[in-house]
Amino acid sequence: MRNLHVRGQLDRVFTATTALSIVLLTLVLVAILGPMVYRGSSAVFFQGTVEFRKMQKNLFGRGNEQALNAEVAETDQLRRQVYQMIDGFKKGVDVEALSEQVREIYRQFGQELRDKNVPTGQYTKLRELTRRIRDKLETAFHSQDINEIKRAVAEVLKEADNPHLKGTSAEKFFALARQFLQAAGQIDLSKHQEYAAAVQEVEGILFHSDSLPGLLGPRPGEPPAPLTMLRYGATRWDQAQVLLDRFLWVDQWVQEKPGEPLVLKRRPRAELFPESLRPLFAYVEQNADKMLHPRRTIYWQFLIDDNINSHYFGGIGPEILGTMLITVVGMLFVIPLGIISAAYLVECASDGWTMRIIRMGINTLAGVPSIVFGLFGLAFFVLFLFPALGFEPKPCILAASMTLAVLTLPVMIRASEEAIRSVPASYKEGSLALGASRFHTFVAVTFPAALPGILTGVILSLSRIAGETAPILFTGAVSLGAVPHSVFDPTRTLSYGSYDMAVGDRLAMMVPHNQYGMVVTLVLLILILNGAAIVLRTRVFKKLRGH
Amino acid sequence: MPEEKKEDMPTSVLRDDRKKPNVRTTIVTIDRKETPAQPVGDGCEAAIIRSENFSLYYGSKAGVKNITMDIYPYSVTAIIGPSGCGKSTFLRSINRMNDLIPHVRAEGRLLVDGHDVYEKRTNLVHLRQQVGMVFQKPNPFPKSIFDNVAYGPSLQGVRNKGELQNVVEQSLRAAALWEEVKNDLKKSALALSGGQQQRLCIARALATKPRVLLMDEPCSALDPIATGRIEDLMGQLQRTYTIVIVTHNMQQAARVSERAAFFCLGELIEYDETARIFSNPAQKATEDYVTGRFG
Repeated sequence: MRNLHVRGQLDRVFTATTALSIVLLTLVLVAILGPMVYRGSSAVFFQGTVEFRKMQKNLFGRGNEQALNAEVAETDQLRRQVYQMIDGFKKGVDVEALSEQVREIYRQFGQELRDKNVPTGQYTKLRELTRRIRDKLETAFHSQDINEIKRAVAEVLKEADNPHLKGTSAEKFFALARQFLQAAGQIDLSKHQEYAAAVQEVEGILFHSDSLPGLLGPRPGEPPAPLTMLRYGATRWDQAQVLLDRFLWVDQWVQEKPGEPLVLKRRPRAELFPESLRPLFAYVEQNADKMLHPRRTIYWQFLIDDNINSHYFGGIGPEILGTMLITVVGMLFVIPLGIISAAYLVECASDGWTMRIIRMGINTLAGVPSIVFGLFGLAFFVLFLFPALGFEPKPCILAASMTLAVLTLPVMIRASEEAIRSVPASYKEGSLALGASRFHTFVAVTFPAALPGILTGVILSLSRIAGETAPILFTGAVSLGAVPHSVFDPTRTLSYGSYDMAVGDRLAMMVPHNQYGMVVTLVLLILILNGAAIVLRTRVFKKLRGH
Repeated sequence: MPEEKKEDMPTSVLRDDRKKPNVRTTIVTIDRKETPAQPVGDGCEAAIIRSENFSLYYGSKAGVKNITMDIYPYSVTAIIGPSGCGKSTFLRSINRMNDLIPHVRAEGRLLVDGHDVYEKRTNLVHLRQQVGMVFQKPNPFPKSIFDNVAYGPSLQGVRNKGELQNVVEQSLRAAALWEEVKNDLKKSALALSGGQQQRLCIARALATKPRVLLMDEPCSALDPIATGRIEDLMGQLQRTYTIVIVTHNMQQAARVSERAAFFCLGELIEYDETARIFSNPAQKATEDYVTGRFG
């Protein structure tokens, strides 16, 4: 009695354990795949801004031009305020820019005098005068004493009535001097340098810096930046929010009391500026969505577009194509070779020691690190076989596919071998007893009966071929380049692209949606290929079973 | 073609394209039921399978030793004996199915239709088409019923669809399966019941138009009803084919065969008319076996 009870308990514990492990496995899968799929899908489904539509129009020729122009006009109106606020502030603080302006006016005026063929004496006199004005202004710009500035500007302005300067480009001196005097009255002059650097950073965040795109994109009228990605603002609302955050807040290392360690403090960036610029921050925060017009966007062309600026814009079309090409060509090698080898091992090979060594070799090959296959592919296919056959020794799809085929052959051979071995001997006997040759028996009876198992091998090798990176590093994958025209061209692939983005530079941090999009596409592609193979296997299996 | 009775169909159609040697024609005309049992070694001309001091070794171990017996056409010959006595080995030697086992070596002579099957120049394909085989476990291929039966003929090079259909129908009729499956020839053979599968295997063997049908315990995996049907079928088939059957079931041997051979420990102990083997055997061992005292 008691024994029976214990047995029942043990059975229940066993059931519970197995159920629990399955639940755990599911949870782990969901925990891994869920966030990945969520982030990857944001490459296609996201809030696209007006900058995105501008980019699509200019780079890919998509979208309604009239609607876009109306939208751009609307947003530009609101942006103008931002430009004005920044320009007004810069007049008072950017001494280097002001000095440069003054020097430019001085040069212009000299040219003007030469063009007018002014007599030599007067020319010398006027040059001397303007040089003095220039130097005075530069001194004023660099001064930190408001009284000194006032004195210098007053001295300059005395010359405003000089008839020789009236109506010439020298008048700009006086306009500049008045503006500066006004702006300088509102700010702490000792912080000139600090303000200049801070406003430059703000401009970098709002417009663009030398290497990073900004929130709103370049200002109208500015010469186009050499990098395409700098020519547009935040194309996605999530990107815009990151930039907005960087615009509104600043992280600083602060020592609160002497002797204590530094702590990272987050404070509003507005505090870095004098009162005169503070409205800018409130304005941008309030009007960001009106300046960018985020709108729900489905960018399915992600799957067919080529990329621009190493995946900053655009999609992964060539990568998908390359992955499929490499997979198909690889499978063309793996399937026949794998089945023939397995057939030989099962049907023809005797159990001698050579066979044992071959079998051991196959099993060992299955465990060799994939990078070793990559180097083997480079050394054997690219550098040895291709020149020997008269082809150019360069990495290409064919070499990559053959390397991947070598990598997956052990898997394919073992799966097929198992499948062929598990075909009942009675099928074979029946066929042989009807007078069939061994070859015919294999083709007509054993192979069809082993097909479901062989398809399992196909599924396993398919996943490996589509997903492997290391074997194609040196044999056929490139991170940039034209879409391949034949198997003798190298190609981009999803696996290599993911790797490249991950190790490349900070780009992946700026466009995580594209990186995740690529990875998720790879996973989905493998799932689809596997799904097709599984459906095929089920159908074959059903047909064999006679349902 | 004139209307014929169902069981006569295969007789006429399956065999009318075959060139029969004179010897056999005479035998066909004899009413076998009245033919006196011929002692072993007599009537050499008539035997279709002759075994002369035939031995078969697996490596150094003998499977069968010094078998000398004649098997006569258009009859059912049963081979009985305890497990491991070499009955199946002998049966499989006739169409050389033992070749699949490594290190097999044959001695003596085994003639089918006057040709030594263990000669080097024996065409295995031809031999196996002449000597069909039905196995212990029904082993239809995982294909449709039609493809199963058409397997042999298409091996022989029959490509014509109509001709294939003809052969399939005749073979299935000969195996008494036609009426049950004629409407779903495209169905998988594995969907049939065990007895049907075994009859399908018989039909498959008949489709190559063999002269001899070897049956290796064909009913051991079947229930009594299916067994009964197969036994009835054998009764019909022996008019057209030579059947050699290995069986464990002595009642079956008594029911279906005209002659019976008793094997023990790889040797042929006694070979005689079935009636005599079961009622009045010459050897003590045989008597012990058939009366259930040993084996």
